[in-house]
Amino acid sequence: MAALAFAAALYGWLAGGGSVDVPWAPTLDLRFAVELDGLAVLYSLLATGIGFLVVVYSSRYIPLHLHHEHRPPGDAVRFHFFILMFMGSMVGLAMAQDLILIFLFWDLTAIASYYLIGYDAHQEESRFSALMALLVTGIIAVLLLIGALVFYAAYGTFSVPELAGLTEPGLLLIVAGGLIAVAGLAKSAQVPFQFWLPRAMAAPTPVSAYLHSAAMVAAGVLLIGRVYPLLQKSEFLLGALTAIGVGSIIVGGLIALTRDVLKQLLAYSTISQYGYVVFMFGMGGKYGAMGASFYVIAHALAKSALFLTAGAVTEATGEKQLSRLGGLARPMPLLAASSGAAAAGLAALPLSIGFFKDEVLFASALQRGPVFAGLALMAATLTLAYTWRFWTGIFLGERRGEARGIPVALVLPITVLGVLVLVGGVFVSPFEELARAAGEVSYAAAIEDVELAYHLDARPENLLALATFALGALVVLSRPVWGGVVAAFARLGERVGPERVYRAGLKELNDFSTWVHQVEVRDTRGRVAAILVPAGILVGLGLVATGTSGVYRFGGFVTEDFPLLLALIGATVASVATCFVRKHVTLVLVISAAGFSIAVSYAFFGAPDVALVAVLVETLITLILLGTLKLIPFEVLRRGARIPVQYATAKVLVAVLAGGFMMALSWATLSQTTTEENAAEGLLELTPEAHGKDAVTVILADFRGLDTMGEISVVALVLLGVATLLWRGRLP
Amino acid sequence: MTFIISLAVSIVFGAGAYLVLQRNLIRVVIGVILISNAANLFIVAAGIMRGRPPIYPLPEGQVVSDPLVQAMALTAIVIGSSVAALLLALSYRLYTSHSTIDIEDISRAEAEDAEALDRGEPIRRRRRGGGA
Repeated sequence: MAALAFAAALYGWLAGGGSVDVPWAPTLDLRFAVELDGLAVLYSLLATGIGFLVVVYSSRYIPLHLHHEHRPPGDAVRFHFFILMFMGSMVGLAMAQDLILIFLFWDLTAIASYYLIGYDAHQEESRFSALMALLVTGIIAVLLLIGALVFYAAYGTFSVPELAGLTEPGLLLIVAGGLIAVAGLAKSAQVPFQFWLPRAMAAPTPVSAYLHSAAMVAAGVLLIGRVYPLLQKSEFLLGALTAIGVGSIIVGGLIALTRDVLKQLLAYSTISQYGYVVFMFGMGGKYGAMGASFYVIAHALAKSALFLTAGAVTEATGEKQLSRLGGLARPMPLLAASSGAAAAGLAALPLSIGFFKDEVLFASALQRGPVFAGLALMAATLTLAYTWRFWTGIFLGERRGEARGIPVALVLPITVLGVLVLVGGVFVSPFEELARAAGEVSYAAAIEDVELAYHLDARPENLLALATFALGALVVLSRPVWGGVVAAFARLGERVGPERVYRAGLKELNDFSTWVHQVEVRDTRGRVAAILVPAGILVGLGLVATGTSGVYRFGGFVTEDFPLLLALIGATVASVATCFVRKHVTLVLVISAAGFSIAVSYAFFGAPDVALVAVLVETLITLILLGTLKLIPFEVLRRGARIPVQYATAKVLVAVLAGGFMMALSWATLSQTTTEENAAEGLLELTPEAHGKDAVTVILADFRGLDTMGEISVVALVLLGVATLLWRGRLP
Repeated sequence: MTFIISLAVSIVFGAGAYLVLQRNLIRVVIGVILISNAANLFIVAAGIMRGRPPIYPLPEGQVVSDPLVQAMALTAIVIGSSVAALLLALSYRLYTSHSTIDIEDISRAEAEDAEALDRGEPIRRRRRGGGA
């Protein structure tokens, strides 16, 4: 399925793309607008292509994983469901052109990722991590929605291409664009939201390989690439992106140098790598736009291979830590070679696709000046150093521990990715075209004179690459010198980093929720009050807002109203009496007296149909009440007959308040009957045409027939419910 | 007359509100019935015209009652009665599982169950007699 989707995306690209744009909710100006443009092709190909390899990998990995965790093999279905759901929403996200549509797919990916990260739901660590990823990316996604609404309020459209033509640099763009960019940065695990990504490593390895190299974190930069035509108009936003990118490169790169657990190292490396992408977007220009896209391709290929390597190595040896691994090149030559190619790609060695990613990084940095070039050099050096550490730590050096044989399906996807990395290092043009097409969408203009190729001369890009190799080697060799400092930095991050803020916030929210829960469901009064009090406040506000002073009319009283008055008095007296009656049977008789009085009053309102139905219904309710009393033993009823004095005053007060409120409301409403646009007379005139004599029955059966059908279905449902309750609840 | 009708509506409503606040489940259901009665009365009273029944042949020169509110009220009455029946069935179900119709007792029992669950103990079954 994934392979089919990949082929479809590839075909779509070669066929020149396509677009669908249909109104979705026209009243809200929402459109279902998707287009397979360059950016969409790139991310769709990544999501489906790497997704395909990951599914192949997990077809063997997940059964083994389930076996280790003592779970039934059937659980694998859940994994595949969510990974395909993720893939689908990712492709949708890539193609969506409408900010609201983007938001929808965005949340779909968040939901799927929640279940994937929390796949080992029996482990608390897993659940905590999944929740953290969901909260961080999901809550911040609301900023995307807010940003979209701000744009809509200002320009009247959610469509990104239309907005690109409309927006002007200014405060509005900075605010709305900034909100959207922050949502993207959180998803890409950029500083200061980076903490969720290393936590998310609790997921099974294929999930990490997919979500945290090619898909979920890529969604963040996809969003930035999508709205980049807007963002690039603001110098401030570009500066902010640059700063955040650099911060992420440093934090991620330095901590990656200290991590011992394989997947943790890769997670911090991902933070750092997406920092590059954001950095390049921040530097802007055609190099930045195209370079960012190219970087995403190169990184996704290399990083997913390395994640899969980590999974395969752990599967073979049972170890997760670098310090307990080593010398695996001899027993597993194919794995070592494949992941070596991928590592070369990440470290930007020549003859791998990675070389070009650093070439365009340097090119775009040089365009902006020496400071940026220096930052780029530092970033590349860090990457080289931790990639070296990862690969050599596993495959070279002294042999530690035993390695079991692992299924081919665990190695083959890595080999495919490794080969792709090497192919990209020689025949770069397909990848280059892909990146160019995507870059053109982000840059909103044609990109022509950016060529990726080997140049055997002393141009600055090449010099920087050579400097990277030299510095990288220096960093690797001088590890004893800086090791302590970096470790201290990592500890400082754990001590005062943003994760603390998250934990504190979560705790406060939990406490607040507990408090609300306590207030609301402590007892019935609380529950009723929790609904009625806000509702009452809203109605009261409505009453105040409409301004009713001076509209109250007493209303005329004619002799013909006398029977109605009597019926109402009867109803009122009976209702008040229900509050004092103790015996249940009397209570039922009094309430039916009230009901029948009201039914009679309907007759004097000139509503014989209502009166007839009300009499029927009252009879039924009386019978049902008596029947219920018959079912419940007398002892229980007698215990409940007492009206407790506890809170009696408060209850009376509440009741009087409610009654007074109702009084104000109904009197205000009834005093202001409007006669404009008289619907009643229209209905009366239409009645003979519907071949009826009674206007009320014609309305019920004809004009508002659907309402009546709904009513009948309610009655049917209630009947079913009552029958179920009585049958299940029968005493043995 | 407007004032009198509003007064009747509000008194019926107030009585219903008072009963809903009681501990006895049957009283709560009766309170809900009263409240829905008050609402129906209000709907019928909210008609634009009040007079003869809106049935053909219409009386010459006399005011005819608003048929629209009546149709609405009919629907509301039927649904209100269904709700009452469902509430009564629920009350009976609560009685069978807790042997009481007192809300406070039921809440207390549920709180105990929740605590027992937190401690990892099985829920005490409160059914009278043996067997399931």
